[in-house]
Amino acid sequence: MAEVVLEGVSKRFKENVAVDDLSLTISDGEFVVLLGPTGVGKTTTLRLIAGLEQVDGGKVLIGGEDATHAEPAERDTAFVFQQYSLYPHLTVYDNLAFPLRSPLRGLAEAEIRRRVSEVASMLRIDDKLSNPATRLSGGQMQRVAIGRALVRRPNIYLMDEPLSSLDAKLRSDLRLELKRIQNDMGATILYVTHDQIEAMTMASRIGVMDAGKLVQIGTPREIYENPLSTYVAARLGQPAINLLPRALLGDLPVPPGTATIGARTEHVRLTKANGAPRGIAGTINWIEHLGDHNHLHVAVGDADIVTLADPDSGLGVGDLVSIEFARPLFFGASGMRISG
Amino acid sequence: MNLLPSSASLIEKAARATPPSFVGKVRGLSDKAIAWIFIAPTLLLLLAINIFPLIWTIQLSFTNYRANRPNAPLRDVGLAHYNEILTNPDIWAAMQVTARFVIASIVIQTVLGFLLAWLIDRKFRGSGFLTTMILLPMMLSPAVVGNFWTFLYQPQIGLFNYIVAFVTGIPPSSFQMLGDVNLSPWAIVLVDSWMWTPYVMLICLAGLRSIPDYIYEAAEVDRASKWRQFWTITLPMAMPFIMLAVLFRGIENFKMFDMVNLLTGGGPGSTTEVASITLKREAFEKWRTGYSSAFAIILFVTVFGLANIYVRALNRVKSR
Repeated sequence: MAEVVLEGVSKRFKENVAVDDLSLTISDGEFVVLLGPTGVGKTTTLRLIAGLEQVDGGKVLIGGEDATHAEPAERDTAFVFQQYSLYPHLTVYDNLAFPLRSPLRGLAEAEIRRRVSEVASMLRIDDKLSNPATRLSGGQMQRVAIGRALVRRPNIYLMDEPLSSLDAKLRSDLRLELKRIQNDMGATILYVTHDQIEAMTMASRIGVMDAGKLVQIGTPREIYENPLSTYVAARLGQPAINLLPRALLGDLPVPPGTATIGARTEHVRLTKANGAPRGIAGTINWIEHLGDHNHLHVAVGDADIVTLADPDSGLGVGDLVSIEFARPLFFGASGMRISG
Repeated sequence: MNLLPSSASLIEKAARATPPSFVGKVRGLSDKAIAWIFIAPTLLLLLAINIFPLIWTIQLSFTNYRANRPNAPLRDVGLAHYNEILTNPDIWAAMQVTARFVIASIVIQTVLGFLLAWLIDRKFRGSGFLTTMILLPMMLSPAVVGNFWTFLYQPQIGLFNYIVAFVTGIPPSSFQMLGDVNLSPWAIVLVDSWMWTPYVMLICLAGLRSIPDYIYEAAEVDRASKWRQFWTITLPMAMPFIMLAVLFRGIENFKMFDMVNLLTGGGPGSTTEVASITLKREAFEKWRTGYSSAFAIILFVTVFGLANIYVRALNRVKSR
């Protein structure tokens, strides 16, 4: 395992800027997640580190050495692709053994067998080793693909939405497993996803990307509680943070320059208004029942505020409520955070 | 922009043009019946031009029928023709010539075809144009190809002899590609390969294009050399396509007639007399229709049997 550093890396595809002057340090043993919607350059960043794409500008340092123009094989990274990129005519065992059989490594067959069976039992595919790779379910295939990375001890594991094609149950299982494996091995991982739950649960640090730039990086807690912009704030939280225009909330005290107020669902307090409501008033127009908690949709003017509520809060559709914000976030007209 | 009527009015028009009685009749049919109506013409055509002649040929192969004497009394000869063919050393010689011809041309065409496909399967300027150029021979009629290669092989004025002479320094008229016992089989293999290697290339190219990039990228990251990538990814994944090309070319070459007939007519001697040439001689020179029918059936069963064994192997490779 090694530290990987990107220094002002840029990549352009014809006119499109995929990665724009991106700097990022992934420390040895760290699990960094790049988060962002489709097409912001997350995958390109991974491919630049792996050497599958060449940078147009900037530097890639792996383990302190300049690898900017090195071949993929020289960089010693492991890549898990979004598609199940298995070698279809090989068995599961041979797929897992494939990277170990590289002449660059020169491992003995006994050592290969030991490592393959170790990883296979870790991923619970040890009973499938003699199966052809194509005769597996989607979840099994992706576990083989992850396993093919894990048999190696590369400088860094690069994972491109490895769980996105799996069903919800398997996704949460593998999420835990991956985090546990990373802890056990002390692996350095750069992981790309647009799934905020994966980012929140696995990352040591989350980097949020927008239009090829890294707009904020920090621990999941930092990103969640102190987003630098409305863009970052909207990336995390389910349901999404309420972003309300300043004008809607007349007499709320706000720092100067505030254009938008952000309130996470769990920070919205509702009290049933008996008679004339105090402060901001709204009407509950819809309740989503989720079992352990409810989502209340409250109409305030022409905006819709979503809140988290206890199932036995006693509030019902049509109730008039007054609204308070526990820890509001203030954003300026450009969408950037204003501390206050 | 209003030249075309709106789609709604088109639908209306189409509905009006269909006579109601016909609509009623079609509506009364099940999906299955409609499906049969659609495939019936093809089926009838197949029966008429494939199945019926086949059955008739089988029937004729047991008789002494001669097409140039249709009114002679027909006699049932039983399995006599089959017996005669299978014990005739000339027939076995022709079969051997055919086999050698099939194997030589398949090996050359597959190796060259795959190599060409592999070379052309990378994006470079003019690759599309080059592909089209390479495919040209395949688009020509075998009659044209046979005739102009006869000219190319001409010892005195032929370009082929001239080029060989230019490269090796031996006089151009000192060898005859089509008249020499040792050279003439290769002359035919060369023309056939010139014409059909592009076809093999096309099929192999489809195979190579079907291999997704990310498999190569995975191998690249897994530190597999280009050599190892070729043997563990490219070749095995293109294998079903290569085998398919071999099947098509094998069947075609087994039946190969036009090129041999145009270039050598089976000569010199009987060095290039493939089975189909023997068959033609028996059927249309000696007019032994019954006998040649029996031979045709034997050839058919041979190709059919070999192809079936081969297809089974192909399916095994594909299912891996």
